[in-house]
Amino acid sequence: MAIKITGPQMILGNFLDDGRAVFFTRDENWSADTSLAAYGEGDALETLVTTANKSVENNLIVDIEVIGAHVDGGVAYPAHIKHAIQAQGPSVRPDLGYQASSDWEAA
Amino acid sequence: MYAYDKFDHAMVDTRVAEFRDQVERRVKGELTEEEFRPIRLMNGLYLQLHAYMLRVAVPYGTMSGDQMRRLAHIARKYDKGYGHFTTRQNIQFNWPKLSETPDILEELAEVEMHAIQTSGNCIRNVTSDQFAGATADEIADPRPYAELLRQWSSFHPEFSFLPRKFKFAITGADTDRAAVKWHDIGLIVRKNEAGELGFEVLAGGGMGRTPVIAKTIREFLPESDLLSYMEAMLRVYNEQGRRDNKYKARIKILIEAMGADEFARQTEAEWERIKDAHIDVPKEEVARIKAFFAPPPLEVLPKYVPAVEELSKKNFVFAAWVKNNTNAHKVPGYVNVTISLKPHGGIPGDATAEQMDLVAALADEYSQAEIRVSHEQNLILPHVALRDLPAIWADLDDAGLGTANVGLLTDMIVCPGLDYCALANARSIPIAQAITKRFGDMRRLQDIGPLKVKMSGCINSCGHHHAGHIGILGVDRKGQELYQILLGGSGAEDASKAGILGPGFDEHGIVDALEKVVAVYLGERKEGEEFLATYRRIGAEIFKEAIYDAA
Repeated sequence: MAIKITGPQMILGNFLDDGRAVFFTRDENWSADTSLAAYGEGDALETLVTTANKSVENNLIVDIEVIGAHVDGGVAYPAHIKHAIQAQGPSVRPDLGYQASSDWEAA
Repeated sequence: MYAYDKFDHAMVDTRVAEFRDQVERRVKGELTEEEFRPIRLMNGLYLQLHAYMLRVAVPYGTMSGDQMRRLAHIARKYDKGYGHFTTRQNIQFNWPKLSETPDILEELAEVEMHAIQTSGNCIRNVTSDQFAGATADEIADPRPYAELLRQWSSFHPEFSFLPRKFKFAITGADTDRAAVKWHDIGLIVRKNEAGELGFEVLAGGGMGRTPVIAKTIREFLPESDLLSYMEAMLRVYNEQGRRDNKYKARIKILIEAMGADEFARQTEAEWERIKDAHIDVPKEEVARIKAFFAPPPLEVLPKYVPAVEELSKKNFVFAAWVKNNTNAHKVPGYVNVTISLKPHGGIPGDATAEQMDLVAALADEYSQAEIRVSHEQNLILPHVALRDLPAIWADLDDAGLGTANVGLLTDMIVCPGLDYCALANARSIPIAQAITKRFGDMRRLQDIGPLKVKMSGCINSCGHHHAGHIGILGVDRKGQELYQILLGGSGAEDASKAGILGPGFDEHGIVDALEKVVAVYLGERKEGEEFLATYRRIGAEIFKEAIYDAA
């Protein structure tokens, strides 16, 4: 049985080419940087999902997943540790994944 | 080692070309993900948490130095400089790009490797004893039979879309190092009263959410009937295995439902129908395949090597390494060396490209260019002369591969867990790192003695927790990672299913709980009694009291 997520949600996907995990952003793009991620609930979320799905249709993104978010200071973060690890990289290899990039250091 | 013939080369090359075309069509949008997903899975390509993951088969865990070097090259050129050896004796690359996977597969094909049937509802890589053909306690080398099974099951038109994935394991020794009783079909090489070779055939074993130990379906199957009998068993399963519920689709569920006797009866009936249909290969073909696995010509050497004895007296770690990481070879003066991929505080099963290159070089120099992968996620150099141990150990130790813990508590089987796997509920690797650091003192490890700790990050059991003397299962409770302890499992010839002790612990508590379990064992064991024997003698309750009552 699927668990209904309540509260703010964000959209996670994987790039088709390299499988990298990325969030749908407020400017309708995709980024691993959570500070850019769009989030919403209700009708606003529906709109985000519809727009994000165009990237699936355009073969940029493999598929999308709507995940729970917690919002702090206007920035959404994945609520579940699984998605946090997915966004950052393996917790046991800080030298790999988005956490190892210069963008991460800057964020 | 088996060498491809023109048919093998043609099959693999054709598949690479086909997959290249399929990837191009996917990238262009001519194939949807729904259409492409089963195709990529049949070629070993998953989409995991961070990236694609490519699982490459190491048939029955045997490979050459050249093949290992190619894996190192792929890790360096297409991935992030490392690979992960798995409990199915395979290797996984965690970061390949989709568009580059056909190039990887082409490079693998050049050294007679592939990723075919490492995923999907088909017959997967056949696993075997890592010491096959090189151990003193063997009835016969199981690898020729494993190779026959590989050829029979590759692209088998009838068994490419089974109700669920299907796993074979085969051993040629009475000591089961291949966990055959935990497989869909397990084969144990036996001799009958007339001294003829054959197999005890077991079926219906498996881990996952419903752990079951396989049952004997036939006490003795003549060697010559192997493939036709397997065909009959797979037919019964393919026809009657459930397809309506993936959690009830494995053969173990079918056999539990109909009973092992009825499954055997139906198999025998089907076999009667098909056994003369030329499914079994001619004796000449069996002999041709066996010739590839002929024992290497080894000159008998002295069993006493002064240099080894002297270094053992001077260096405790070397002495421990010789004791724990080598085992008797069938030829006097030789051993098999197990290279631990479980450095204390490290990531179990991972090897860097540089380490792979070193193992390849050592294999070329000391082990007839042969390497094995064990289901316990270690690498093996078979056929090593005793006199070469000091030099091999020195090179391994310099490269971080000299840990002397094989068969001990820190030689843990550990799945990738939530750090990599899309199915996992909890992280496994950080727990393993904490455990191996806590128990990292070699003298203490030696004192604890043989102890198999196996850990999975979810109920799918890739880390074999049901078969651990001590099993650890990671679960998700309302977003928190918790870890349950199981006791009393075995993947060996005395296979048993571990039982859960009670509620889970957090990431710190699980290490302390393990400490308490070990303390109970040390307090209760009789002289020379190993953990599993003590557990079986005294039962779970005393362990339960120790870890919960005092909490």
